Order: sequence, then structure tokens, then C-alpha cells
Amino acid sequence: MSGSEAIAEARKQGRAALDEAAGKRLLESFGIPVPRSVMVSDAARATGALAGIRPPYAVKVVSPDILHKSDAGGVRLGVRDREEAALTIGEMAQLPGVRQARVDGYLVEEMAPAGQEIVVGGLRDPQFGPLVMVGLGGIFVEVLADVAFRICPITRVDAEEMLSELKGAALLDGARGRKAVSRSAILEVLLKVGGDGGLLMVHAQDIEELDINPLIVSESGAVAVDARLILTQPPMDADGRR
Amino acid sequence: MSDSVLEQFRPLFEPKTVAVVGASAKGGALPNVFIRRIREFGFEGEIYPIHPSAPEIDGLPAYRSLGETPKPVDYAYIAIAAAQVPPLLREARGRVRFAQVISSGFGEVDEGRELQEALVAAARAGGMRLIGPNCLGIYTPRGRVTFTEIGPREVGQVGIISQSGGLGTDIIRRGFSRGLKFSGLITVGNCADVGPNELLEYYLADEQTRVIGLYIETAKDGRRLFEILRDARAAKPVVILKGGRTQRGRMAAASHTGSLAGDDRVWVALSRQTGCAMADTLDQFIDILLAFQALAPQPRHPTRRVVLFGNGGGASVLATDFYARLGLDVIPFGAETVGALGALKLPPGTSITNPVDTPVGTLQQDDGRVAEKILEAIYASGRPEALVMHLNLSAFAGRTKSEVIDNLVQVALRVQSHYPGQAHFVLVLRSDGEPQLEERKREFRAKAVALGIPVYDEMANAGHALAALASHERFVHSRQPRDR
Repeated sequence: MSGSEAIAEARKQGRAALDEAAGKRLLESFGIPVPRSVMVSDAARATGALAGIRPPYAVKVVSPDILHKSDAGGVRLGVRDREEAALTIGEMAQLPGVRQARVDGYLVEEMAPAGQEIVVGGLRDPQFGPLVMVGLGGIFVEVLADVAFRICPITRVDAEEMLSELKGAALLDGARGRKAVSRSAILEVLLKVGGDGGLLMVHAQDIEELDINPLIVSESGAVAVDARLILTQPPMDADGRR
Repeated sequence: MSDSVLEQFRPLFEPKTVAVVGASAKGGALPNVFIRRIREFGFEGEIYPIHPSAPEIDGLPAYRSLGETPKPVDYAYIAIAAAQVPPLLREARGRVRFAQVISSGFGEVDEGRELQEALVAAARAGGMRLIGPNCLGIYTPRGRVTFTEIGPREVGQVGIISQSGGLGTDIIRRGFSRGLKFSGLITVGNCADVGPNELLEYYLADEQTRVIGLYIETAKDGRRLFEILRDARAAKPVVILKGGRTQRGRMAAASHTGSLAGDDRVWVALSRQTGCAMADTLDQFIDILLAFQALAPQPRHPTRRVVLFGNGGGASVLATDFYARLGLDVIPFGAETVGALGALKLPPGTSITNPVDTPVGTLQQDDGRVAEKILEAIYASGRPEALVMHLNLSAFAGRTKSEVIDNLVQVALRVQSHYPGQAHFVLVLRSDGEPQLEERKREFRAKAVALGIPVYDEMANAGHALAALASHERFVHSRQPRDR
């Protein structure tokens, strides 16, 4: 199922958002790197299904009823092998918050290599149309609101200036003894999200809000580890009218 | 495209025939004042008062409706009760190009929403473009039409669009006294038909306009505004004063991104992506417009290094700190410049590094002509990108001949002309509010303004204006060919 089909499918089911797996497929269809993953329906099927992907894993519950997966206990990181993954899924299924929810399955992903956490976001402004955002992850976004917005579509120069505008930009260059991370990998993601022909422009009528949080950036690349995509409600026509 | 927008709006900015609706036979109504003002302003076209019964108004033959004037109407000024406006417009029968509706009581109040829709429909049926309603009028020196008492006749280069009528008046009056000269100022009120975007396109295409200022409260079509500004590629500096910028996040945000997106963020983004300058206050708006009016942007070497020269040690230290926060460097001179200044053997108490602090005792040497040697030394080797000359008039009071300050400014201009395009020159005239001093300051300011020098009351104001200029220069510099 392609990204656009995922949007159509979620619409058909009356959902307000794309689930993580569908969101990531959409990102992937725009060339934004996401972890290799497998959707597993239950614990019994896990060991067989995971043959193609390499541990350690991240295991996440996929449900339209669970908006905050971590709060519900629906995220487990650093799962060492297939057996532990099966065990984890079995345990997760028994959690009260999960048992009461409609569960579409469990997303098992290869863990992204360590790196700097970045947030890339998007939203539809009623007057200006799609906007793209970038910020450093964790307290930089949540406490300091150290983020930069631009109106889509952005150019490469715009994307570069967005990063330079961040107060914490020095962290990207390897402050406090850490290795510098790949700015160009972040720029590529920003352009694929907010550039000409990017995700936010192409699906301007459908995307109300987007969070890629975190995008983990290493010395050599970037991976969208979590994605949340809220759909416009009600759907808009091609002229942006409802 | 640009030809057609010029053609389309020419009757608004250079009307040959003006209809006035709402003037009374007895005189004294606002439209009567409007008739008097445009006559005083030198309007040479025909004026057609429209009145249901009076044969004559203010000595001019009156007509029953907009459809009955001798010639078609380029511009109609309408100030009658709101409910009467739609029927009036319907009678125009395609013979009116622009109608500006001054009357209020439309979309700006809940109970006027429907009437505004009726107004738009009537304008369409009458075949005209509508400006307003709920505005004050247009000031267009090239067309000799004005809604204000004070407004220079000279056609300038600053084009203004204001969503507020009262603020439009402030911009003309304060701007005029500061030396701004306008190519036009139009108040657009509720923007029921013509909005800021179309007028922005007009000013961008208009050769007379070199600098554009916008006061915006609500951007109905922000997307279009973004596209126009982006496609203009900062060819003309645009300064935006935005009313109603807030920090509030979106009400029902479901994501981090949503909760972080205050209205303010979009305007910051707009300015970063299009090179337009954002002003926070009316004074800052005028300060920045003044800089763009007088100083040609130098994108090849964006302004960063600033030299402060004048009397007032503490004031220049404070300004140095403040400028640093604005991204402007007031950094000490190198050995060559210090050597050249040292060779002048200026009196003790003079500081010859940057900021150059020259007490009155130094400045009045040779009746002020000493400044020529100082500035020559600075320009020759100090390579400033901007020079701020600041004179604290209070310190001169009662100590020097009045021509000293004149000479200082003249000398500065002469040196400036030896180094064309090297440094932006701005003048700060500081004073303490003492009436006699204020009067002298006004005279000096008028002289300086006549010579094309932007004059500021304080160094901080000059700093904000230079920072906006620098930001424009950096934008143009960074968008050289590699971006496309």
C-alpha cells in the first residue's frame, strides 16, 4: 500500500490520524529514511516474521485508540532478539491500556544507530498553507521551544538557515565532545518534507499536523524513528475548501 | 502581468475624474472637506458631487447618481450611511473604475457582515473595483488626491498600504516630519474586494515606488502574500508592520509542531524567506522606511562594521553594546587608522578608536571642519560599512556658534561623496526636550533630510534601521544565483 493509499484508507475508516506504520510508509515514499520493520499480528507469529530484520529491535503497539504509546507502555526499546520480541509482544498485549484498545498489530523495527535527536514537523496554517518546522529533540523543543518555521515550499538555502537559526545549532557540530552529525542528512529530510514536491506540498489538503519525533541523525545519515500524522478534518477539496 | 496591474490601478492613483458621495449642500460634511482638500492639493481633473436633490455643492454642479456624470468616474469617494451604499453602487452601470467606501458598519461588526456581502455584490453589479469599506481614503501625490490635511505635494518613492485608516494618517504625518516622501498611501479597511496583495503587486511594478510599507492586521490570503514577496526576490525593500502578532499556540494542537506554532512564527518565516523587514512599532516602521528611502542597499558587502562618531562617551558605549545585539559590530580600528587619527593631535579627552568619542571641545575646532580630517582618516583605512554620526545638541547649547553643527554635517557629506557606495551615512541628533533645542533640532533635521540623510532621535533607533537594512542586504546576498 502506497502513502496516498494509506491516507485514503485511513479516511475510509474515519480515522483522524495515520497509524505509525502507515505514516512511515508515507515518509518512505518521499525518500525519507525509516527503520526496516515488520508488522506482526501477535506474539506467536513474531519469531518467523522477524527473520529478515536485524536485532536489536524496537517494539511498538499500533492502534488507532492509543495516541501516546509510551504512556500506555506500548513502546519497548533495545529488544535483543526474536525470542525476546515475541515475549515483549505477549506482555504488551496484556497491558490494561492495550487490552482495551483496537490493536492493528505490533511494529517491530531495527533500532536506529545512536545520534542527535531532531524534530521535524509540519502543519497547515489557515492563511499561509503548509509550514515546515525543525528543532533539536528533547528539552530543546519541549521546554525551550527552540524551533524554526518556514512556509513551504522551502529551498536548500531556507533549510540551511532554519538550522542556523536554532539556538542549540552548535550541538549539531559536535559540542561537548560529541561527534558532529550530518547536517546534509537533516537538510535532505527537510527538503523531502517541506520542499517543492515534498510531502507537505503534495499532501497539503490532507495533512493538518505532522511530527517526525525523533529523527535520529548520526555522522552519516538520518532515520525517522517515530512519525505522527494528523489528517485534516473534514477532508478538503483540491482548492483547499471544506 | 506588471503592465496590466499598472494599467488596472492607474485610475486609482492618477484619477482624472473624481466623484464625491456624501457632501452636503450646506457644507461641513467629511466629503465636503475632501473636496476642499483635493482642490487645495492641486487636483486638476473634474470633481462630480453626487447628491439626490441639490443642484450644486461647493460651487460644483451635482449629479443624481454615479451613472449620470458627464464622464466616467475614475475614483469615487463615498461616505454615506452604510445601508445606502449598495444601491448607490448598483446605479454606476459600469461607469466607475474604483469606489472607495469610507463608511463603516460593514464586516468589522457582526451585524454588518451581510451588508458587506451585499456591498461586494453591488460593486460587482456596478462594474467597479471596491476599496474598503471602513477606511479613510487615499493619498496619492501624483494624482493630487489626498484625504489628509497634511501631506507633501512632492511625489516620493515610498508606497504604503494600511489596513487601518487612523494609522495611515499617522504614517503620513509622522513620516512627513521625519522626511519620508510617498509615492502613495492607501487605506484599505475591511478589504472586501481589493486587498493588500493586489496593491503590493501594483507598488512592485510601479517605477515611482522604490520602497514598500504594509500595515497588516489580518492576512486573508497569506499564501498569495508569500508567493508575491517570494517571486519579487526582494527587488524592492518591503517593511511590514503587523498588528495582532501573538505567541499563542494553536488551540487544539495534537502535535508538538502544532503547539509551537504561534502566529508570530509565520511572520518571522515570511521575513526570513522573502527578505522583507518586520517592524514592531510605528516608530520602528518609519525608522526602517527612512533608511531604505535614503540608503541604497549594498548586497555585495552586507552592513556589519559600524563606526560611531560624535560627542557622548557613555551614549556611544551603550550603543556599541546594543548594536552588537543587533548583529552590528562596532569594533576598534586597526593600527593604521589609529595612527592616522593620532597624527591629528586631537585634544585630550578624545577617543580615537571606534567608537570615536569627540567632545564638543574637539568638534568645534576650526568651526567643525576638524571633522573632515577625522572622517577622511576613518574612511581611508577604517573601511566602515555604516557611519553613525551622533551629535548631542544639549552639549553644544550655549557653547558654540550655530554654524558648527551645520559645518559638521556638510563636512561629513563631503567626505562621504569621496567614497561612493562605501558606507551608509546616518545622523543621530540627540536632545533633551528643551524647546529651543528641539526647534534647532527640527531645523537641522529638515536640512539633513533635504540632503537625503536619514536622521534619528537616538542611536538605538538608527541601530534598528541599520539592522533591517543589513538583513535585507544579507538576504539578497545569500539568494544570489546558486539558489535557483
